[in-house]
Amino acid sequence: MRIHKAMVATGAAMVLALSACSGGGGSDMGDAVADDTADKGLEVVGEAVTWDPNQLVNEGEPIVLEWWLWGFDAESQAIADAYQEIHPNVDIQVVVQPWEDFWTKLPLELQGENGPAIFNVHNSQHDNLIANMAPYDIEIDDLRADYANVDAHVIDGEVHYIDFGLMTGSIFYNTDMWAAAGLTDADIPVTWDEFRDVAAQLTVAEGDSITQAGFNFNGQFNAFQSGLAYQLGQNMFEADLTTPDVDNEANLEVIQRFLDIYADGSGSKDFGVATDTFGQGQTAMIYSWGHFGGTLAADFPDLAWSTFQTPVPDASETPYAYDRTNGESTIGINKNASAEQQAVAQDFLRYYLTNTDLMKEMCLALGVLPTYGPLAEDPEIVASPVLQSFGDVESYIWPGPFPAAFETNTTTMWEDILYNGVAPEAALENAQATISTDVESSSFVSLESLYPGYQVQD
Amino acid sequence: MNAPSLNTSPSRTAALSPAPAGSTTPPRPRRRLAYPGERALRNVVVGVVVLFIVVLLLVPIGIAAVGSLHLWNPLNGTFDFTGLANYRRLFSDQEFWTSSVNTLVFGSVAIVGRLVLGLALAYALYSKMTRCKTFFRAVFYMPTVTPLVAVAYVWQLMYNPRFGAINTFFGLDINWLLDSRYAMGAILVMTIWKDFGYAVILFLAGLYAVPDDVLEAAAVDGANAWTRFRRIIVPLLAPMTLFIAVTSTIGYLQAFVQVLVLTDGGPGTSTRLISFMIYDEAFVNYNFGYASAIAFVLLLFTAILTWLNFRVSAGSGVRPPRRRAGRSAVTR
Repeated sequence: MRIHKAMVATGAAMVLALSACSGGGGSDMGDAVADDTADKGLEVVGEAVTWDPNQLVNEGEPIVLEWWLWGFDAESQAIADAYQEIHPNVDIQVVVQPWEDFWTKLPLELQGENGPAIFNVHNSQHDNLIANMAPYDIEIDDLRADYANVDAHVIDGEVHYIDFGLMTGSIFYNTDMWAAAGLTDADIPVTWDEFRDVAAQLTVAEGDSITQAGFNFNGQFNAFQSGLAYQLGQNMFEADLTTPDVDNEANLEVIQRFLDIYADGSGSKDFGVATDTFGQGQTAMIYSWGHFGGTLAADFPDLAWSTFQTPVPDASETPYAYDRTNGESTIGINKNASAEQQAVAQDFLRYYLTNTDLMKEMCLALGVLPTYGPLAEDPEIVASPVLQSFGDVESYIWPGPFPAAFETNTTTMWEDILYNGVAPEAALENAQATISTDVESSSFVSLESLYPGYQVQD
Repeated sequence: MNAPSLNTSPSRTAALSPAPAGSTTPPRPRRRLAYPGERALRNVVVGVVVLFIVVLLLVPIGIAAVGSLHLWNPLNGTFDFTGLANYRRLFSDQEFWTSSVNTLVFGSVAIVGRLVLGLALAYALYSKMTRCKTFFRAVFYMPTVTPLVAVAYVWQLMYNPRFGAINTFFGLDINWLLDSRYAMGAILVMTIWKDFGYAVILFLAGLYAVPDDVLEAAAVDGANAWTRFRRIIVPLLAPMTLFIAVTSTIGYLQAFVQVLVLTDGGPGTSTRLISFMIYDEAFVNYNFGYASAIAFVLLLFTAILTWLNFRVSAGSGVRPPRRRAGRSAVTR
């Protein structure tokens, strides 16, 4: 008898273990309830892309959709709930996966039948997602009319995601330290030479030890290196748009410029990570991308800070481009989801793309310049310190979702220079070799040639 | 490791020998089943274990073996046969050789550190002069049961060049994790601190199994404490030492978390270990084929080192501890 109990217990444990690993697949409809009222008495919203709330989705039958994302969950759940208020038969369940896991779990889930119907997209993962993304069921001309930069995402006459905002780098500065050094708005530097002087003025030292760094770029290497080479007319890729161009004079000049600032004593490789020390009030200026504004608001709400546009080599000349830019992507739709789920997801997409409040909130939180036309003159957008530091948006280059090898090897190159005593020329040569090898297997083709002022390097 | 050369009487050494030379072991009587269905239960349990090993170990290893011959990215379905291209790239990849040397250095120092510190503290706890043994045993073992990620984050704060406890306490100005002269050492110190408790507990078990009469006899024969330690304790602990060395070799060749948290393989590539390289290729560059090729070389490397461990020990007459009722670990 005892043995039978043991065997039954073993079997039950195995079944439980296996069922815990399963993806469910039951008919749980969450809190979705049938809807039989098509006319909600609401206005059709949007400009060229429109969303009509006065029609039933999924014929009013209850349906559940999962929406996978890596952050911004409260805001996303709010928008899902707002949609459900209008369409009570649709329960959109927000599922948060940490960024580190997101990009392995999501592509694998999308290959099966139980993947999320809706998911957030980051363009760096384009290659791993695109095969399982459904195209937007929206006229491309309508998208072009409402959103900027759509053409960069057209594949065979279809788009699977677009940008809701553009992000770039700028200089974040501590306004208290700025004032304490006797600096005013008139002292905001335009050129790198002026910037170097200001960094020296903002530095505080006791003997040989820096207690307040004027400028700190530790850990920010991959954020600035390739973008600032654009200022000197240097593309990231050669004319064939596939061969990396790393070992060049422009990159060397960028490296030397930043090393000179540390050589002045305005910062130190041993002063700690730039973003951390800025938040902790130990560094006066750092270069970072717009999302850092959101980090400061969340983690260091008491810090007084602002931003200004990244300096340029020469105030009298507009550079080839001010910097690199990158888009924050709109949601994707799973092409392997059921036809009903996809149809609802397409309707939700229109709701999402025409929702100015949501777009504004996301752009302000992430520090991105909205691509949605109706937000161009929005007072809150115009007043945002991060977005004010954007130069002429037409003068930024998006090279496309280039392989991660660029960023990881740029970091390695800078660490070799700063901490391992490798000469910049040799470090650039190493980086060129490593990046070239790493991207060999990639099918990536640069989009630099889409830049209106694109010039082929000699 | 040398066998004990102390002059001990036959009656005393008998306790250390498994059986007199030339003796024949009588056949073990066939044990009767304790209850009906015991055989079925055994089969079920063993079957489940075998199934898990096959599904979760052998099948993935087989898939990785095939994958190492392909340009492979399971996230987007790429699976193009490339023959031995990944292996050819591997052996001409400077980063692989740097990582291999780093792994060897890391593994060697960590193993020696763990063994030496573990043995020293175990012997100190074993001493009759030591009080509060249970307390110290618990304290020494505490880091071992603490999650490595949590420990690594705490040590990262301690190593901070601006406000870290280590620089503050010792009045130093060292960028522990970003200066390539110190970064690997910093990771090693944390690793040894985290892991020595495991060796302490195992060595203590070995020490308590050393027969008192052997030590007493040695003392009567005039051996001082150092001689007893060197000539009796250390040789009798050889099986346990081998066990710790082998498990440590396997573990440290796969070390990853501490590098990821503390240095991310930097500065440059100065603390990059093979496991970190595998992770980087698979989950950053999405080159699973190349990552699988590296993993296979690591597997081979680990197997060779483990075999060498056994060979060296076998040459000195040491066998790893076996579980057998009624026998102490050190007398087998």
